[in-house]
Amino acid sequence: MTDSMEGVVKDESQSQPKEENVHEKTVSDIKFNFTLLERAVAQFDARYTLRALRSISSLRKRLSGEIIAESIISTYPPNNGTAQVLLRATGLDGDELTQIARRISSTSTGSTKQEKKEPLPEIDVYLAILAQVLLYDGKNYKIGAEFSKALVGRVRDLNRRTLDSLAAKAYFYYSLFYEALDPKPPSKQSPLISIRGTLLAALRSAVLRKDSDTQASVTTLLLRNYLSTADITQADLLVAQTQFPEAATNNQVARYLYYLGRIRAIQLSYTEAHDHLVSATRKSPNSAVATGFYQQSTKLLVVVELLMGDIPDRALFSQSRLERGLEPYFYLVQAVRVGDLQGFLKIVQQNSPTFHRDGTYTLILRLRQNVIKTGIRMLSLSYSRISLRDICIRLGLDSEESAEYIVAKAIRDGVIEASIDHEKGYMQTKQAGDIYATREPGEAFHDRILACLSLHDECVKAMRYPMNQHRLELKNAQEARERERELAKEIQDGDIDEDDAAGEFEGL
Amino acid sequence: MAENELQTALKQLHQALNAANPSTAPALLSRAKLALLKLNALIPGPRTPQAHLLLARETLELGALISIRLQDAEGFERYFQQLQPFYSLPQQILAREKSNSSKITGLYLLLLLSQGDYAGFHTLLETLELAAAQAGKGGLEEDQYIQYPIKLEQALMEGSYDRVWGATKRERVPSPEFGVFSQSIIGTIRAEIASCSEKAYASIPISDAKSLLFLDSEGSVVSFAKERGWVARDGRLYFPQQNAESANAANDILVTSGTVIENTLGYARELETIV
Repeated sequence: MTDSMEGVVKDESQSQPKEENVHEKTVSDIKFNFTLLERAVAQFDARYTLRALRSISSLRKRLSGEIIAESIISTYPPNNGTAQVLLRATGLDGDELTQIARRISSTSTGSTKQEKKEPLPEIDVYLAILAQVLLYDGKNYKIGAEFSKALVGRVRDLNRRTLDSLAAKAYFYYSLFYEALDPKPPSKQSPLISIRGTLLAALRSAVLRKDSDTQASVTTLLLRNYLSTADITQADLLVAQTQFPEAATNNQVARYLYYLGRIRAIQLSYTEAHDHLVSATRKSPNSAVATGFYQQSTKLLVVVELLMGDIPDRALFSQSRLERGLEPYFYLVQAVRVGDLQGFLKIVQQNSPTFHRDGTYTLILRLRQNVIKTGIRMLSLSYSRISLRDICIRLGLDSEESAEYIVAKAIRDGVIEASIDHEKGYMQTKQAGDIYATREPGEAFHDRILACLSLHDECVKAMRYPMNQHRLELKNAQEARERERELAKEIQDGDIDEDDAAGEFEGL
Repeated sequence: MAENELQTALKQLHQALNAANPSTAPALLSRAKLALLKLNALIPGPRTPQAHLLLARETLELGALISIRLQDAEGFERYFQQLQPFYSLPQQILAREKSNSSKITGLYLLLLLSQGDYAGFHTLLETLELAAAQAGKGGLEEDQYIQYPIKLEQALMEGSYDRVWGATKRERVPSPEFGVFSQSIIGTIRAEIASCSEKAYASIPISDAKSLLFLDSEGSVVSFAKERGWVARDGRLYFPQQNAESANAANDILVTSGTVIENTLGYARELETIV
């Protein structure tokens, strides 16, 4: 993000005249968003607010202290308290501000010089969020943290339903600032821990006020907070005690599912973790900005799939968004697939810094037993009878005794269908049964159908209907009734025979 | 005054621990804890002096070790939880070096393992991994107290029970406290091996079963076999599994047809709502 920003700044300095243009355009964009916010308040429709928020990502690249200051000065009456606070956050000094103010008053003609009315609190918060973005991109974490703290407190006191989606964003940056403060998260002294109280309080009031935006955003922030210091038990308790709002936006759901998948994977509930992570990767946004999330969740998904004894698809690794980032995982999967214990250990050792950074190291260490199991399965598929000594050599195990126990465990766990002859020291594979005689295909079929049905249900739920459409339908219904009456009359008169009439009825 | 009292109590506690005579310890411990309360140091606060922190940690650690000796799992867990705030203090306030933190954490891991609480085990491990990565040293790989339960868990999960058996021997445990768990772990693996053998072998000579199950004599093999319901005949053990399986299969069909009917009805209902 910062890299691309620097690039943009350079471009502007190269072409001076264009800069003014961009500047004006940005200010007018921001002001346009004010009208959106006003409309959102007047019509009580959160969609306008969301539209204003969505534009932040495009504004972000063009944002500067002057731009924000200009929009503030031209919107607020002079000497407004909120305006002063916001101006301070832009980091400009008094001289520059008066300069801007003079420029504005000189460009605006007499007609626009009417009394400026007190702006809505939504506009306050919107500008404050822009200031947060500016501070974050300028790496002013300390000031940003202080500023966000005050902002979050104010949002809470205001308690307006039209502020909800803005508040969610404000909390997001609030937590982001504290994450960037030293000492950084894994340390137990990180300031991140100190905001847990505030976030929990925010969660409580959000639930009470039925503010699903803030509720969703704060829940994910809390989970992230707990996981950053590896307080998995606390995160698990939070999940158990709270309900994630169904109306949350797609991105929040994806985040929530990812954290949930992570918690479950650590707790060894791989099936659950797998479900959550699959949904998280599918729900992850397609834009380039979200590639990091997509990669991270796919990495975890790959490891969890391996832990479940499945081998992820080869096609997964050839996606252009994943190819480079997932390279170590690709080799890992290969080692597990062929059951090569030595190769597996070598790959883990080589890539341990990467795995540590991704937070998958401990999960990967658990894979050792899966590698052995796959190895045994491969052997049992290729040989109908093999001595324990050979198994021991092939898999690189410590001793024949170990091999015997491991094979016995594999048989018990249902990994292979075989028996051991202890005296002669070999493993005898049983004839594989016909899979279609079991209920496995039926179960797979059932799973597919369930997935399709829930997809259908979600589609129906996600549909939106235009306003007042039902009136039209009422009218149609009335017409239909009239037609029906006519038809009935005609039947009575004997003009039409019954079959045709039935056909017409079906058409209704 | 409370400080002096605490120090004498600690001295006596050390003696009790070394003398392998922990019966007097609980009374001493409660006296020490009372003294700590008087010093207001049982829970570390921002203003607790370092000397008190050290004393408090020592007391709680002794308490933890003694409750292990007394085989008091609940007590140990309580001490472990009480110690957490001390271990998470920053290095400059309370140095980690002289504490028994890794020993006690290792013991706690072992306790979780012996209780079969794998989720708790891995959750704690994740936390430790992160803390170690942050400390920047060799990490967990060099800590013998923590490595011991990790190795044990690995061997248990992959099924190399002979390695588990070897690790529980007296000379292999990293400190005598760890030996307390050996018995329960051996019990666990014996049950595991038994259930594996039922599936893997049709029959097995009793003498082999003895070494397989890590039992001392053939007599104990026979009595163990009786417990599990195995048949001992002509010096061999037979596992009664085949009949059970066929009964299962018949049962299976009943269950399957039930679910198939249920599913199909479900599809019909859903189809109706869609169309």
